[in-house]
Amino acid sequence: MKKTEYSPFSVLWREVVKDKLALSSLLLLSLILFIVYGASIVLDQEEIVKVDLLSIYSPPSAEHWLGTDYGGRDILGQLIIGARNSFTIGLAITLLTGLIGLTIGLIAGYFGGVIDNIIMRIIDFILILPFLMLVIVFVAIVPKYNVFTFILIMSAFLWTGKARLIRAKVLAERELDYVSASKTLGTPDWKIIVREILPNLSSIIIVNLTLNLAGNIGIESGLSYLGFGLPESTPSLGTLVSYATNPDVLQNKWWVWLPASVLILVMMLCINFIGQALKRAADARQRLG
Amino acid sequence: MTFLRVNQLKVHYPVRGGFFRKVIGHVKAVDGISFELKKGETYGLVGESGCGKTTTGRTIIGLVKATAGEILFDGKDLTKLSRREFVQYRKDIQMIFQDPYSSLNPRKRVLDIVAEPLRNFEKLSPQEEKRKVQGLIEKVGLHSDSVYKYPHEFSGGQRQRIGIARALTLNPKLIIADEPVSALDVSVQAQVLNFMKDIQKEFQLTYLFISHDLGIIRHMCDRIGIMYRGQFVEEGTKDEIFHDPKHIYTKRLLASIPNADPLRRQEQQKLRQQIEKDYEQLYSRYFDAEGRVYPLKRISETHSVAIP
Repeated sequence: MKKTEYSPFSVLWREVVKDKLALSSLLLLSLILFIVYGASIVLDQEEIVKVDLLSIYSPPSAEHWLGTDYGGRDILGQLIIGARNSFTIGLAITLLTGLIGLTIGLIAGYFGGVIDNIIMRIIDFILILPFLMLVIVFVAIVPKYNVFTFILIMSAFLWTGKARLIRAKVLAERELDYVSASKTLGTPDWKIIVREILPNLSSIIIVNLTLNLAGNIGIESGLSYLGFGLPESTPSLGTLVSYATNPDVLQNKWWVWLPASVLILVMMLCINFIGQALKRAADARQRLG
Repeated sequence: MTFLRVNQLKVHYPVRGGFFRKVIGHVKAVDGISFELKKGETYGLVGESGCGKTTTGRTIIGLVKATAGEILFDGKDLTKLSRREFVQYRKDIQMIFQDPYSSLNPRKRVLDIVAEPLRNFEKLSPQEEKRKVQGLIEKVGLHSDSVYKYPHEFSGGQRQRIGIARALTLNPKLIIADEPVSALDVSVQAQVLNFMKDIQKEFQLTYLFISHDLGIIRHMCDRIGIMYRGQFVEEGTKDEIFHDPKHIYTKRLLASIPNADPLRRQEQQKLRQQIEKDYEQLYSRYFDAEGRVYPLKRISETHSVAIP
């Protein structure tokens, strides 16, 4: 018997496999992440960020494959730890904002009326706040500033977009008869939201989160570059790139900033290509596979 | 004893406008209708689209809130019940939806769709549940293996029968059928309608049958109510409505049924033109200044017409 059932995940998967660019992006990204997370288990962050005055700005050599920075710290080690930090931050922000946005979007969209109105006005309020300026102020006043607080601050602002997207989808979905049917069958509201509506949104959620992941890695790097990201004791891709603000480094010591810049570019491009393929899979008219 | 009595039911929607979004008017979707259902009968609600028949059905089952009036079911007013109290009556009133495509969740198997009410009201073991669902699915004429399939693997008529199986799961007393066959093609319509008649006898069901198709209404219903702009125009038994219509609107509606016999086509056309002329001449006798119908007046034991 021919199998005619395609779960949303198998459709997404088929689309990625069909699109050669997305498939190679996926392989490359998995390779990078495997190396980065694998190597960062072996590497010791304390050891890498230790200042070594004897080898300041040494170019790539057998001892330091990618040279050292102005503190004599190994760039390759910082690159690996930094990539791990940046990706972890990006992923955590994406998941956290996804979770908050999903919950609030589902509630606002499903119940509608006054609840929707109140939630949307709160979201409007958060959206008009000058996001970047507030993050910079937070960074200045929060005493213990590390990866965890950074994730929390970013998530506090970035969930609004997801909530809006999910709400719009739920508003369309709840008008369908299967939701009315569930109501007449006596199913409680929370069950309708979680069991009936949520599965029908799964593909749009996956697509949106993937595309957002690339953006979130970029936001972390951008803020670190401006000097409002993570402190130097916690290496990130942004900190490495920010060394290029020194004209001498930018012009003569390419090994300090170039690898990190290329890694950011490659990772964001890969995630974007995968995201584009998933996006096409979610829209039947654009599918290749 | 009357089984379901709808008394002066009104569903109005506010229309907002102007700078402060003040209420500037109302859409009177249902405007003061009253009717009764006896146990075991099929009551047909007929009317053009937008006349409020679907809203009436959805109000009775609690999907739409009534603005005023009462719905007495077994002597209890459903409009006054809180959501929590209403849950008990859910088991007794079920609905068959118009669109068999959107009324089944595409992400769920037939087993989960049909078992949904069981999981809400009865605590059954998975085996018992599966046996019960398979029994129902066989009753509606599908193979018992279909419970593991997804809705998109079925045709429109099969899907509608899954919808009917779901409505039957809790052994309801009243089923509101909201244009149950209008999305199906004609050959399948008869199949589903006859099936509905069969299960009516078997389960002692009462139907509130909502449709705009007079042929189907004639086939299914014992008593009929004709609606126009949220109000009743005429109410009576099937014979009274089809053979002795009193209101000009009912006459126009009946004249619009096409005649299958080509020899009598001329006759039918003449009748239609005659009624159209009557309608234009006698308009003010049947409709008031606002274009609405007058209150119902009883002209016999079972027959009521909206004439002044």
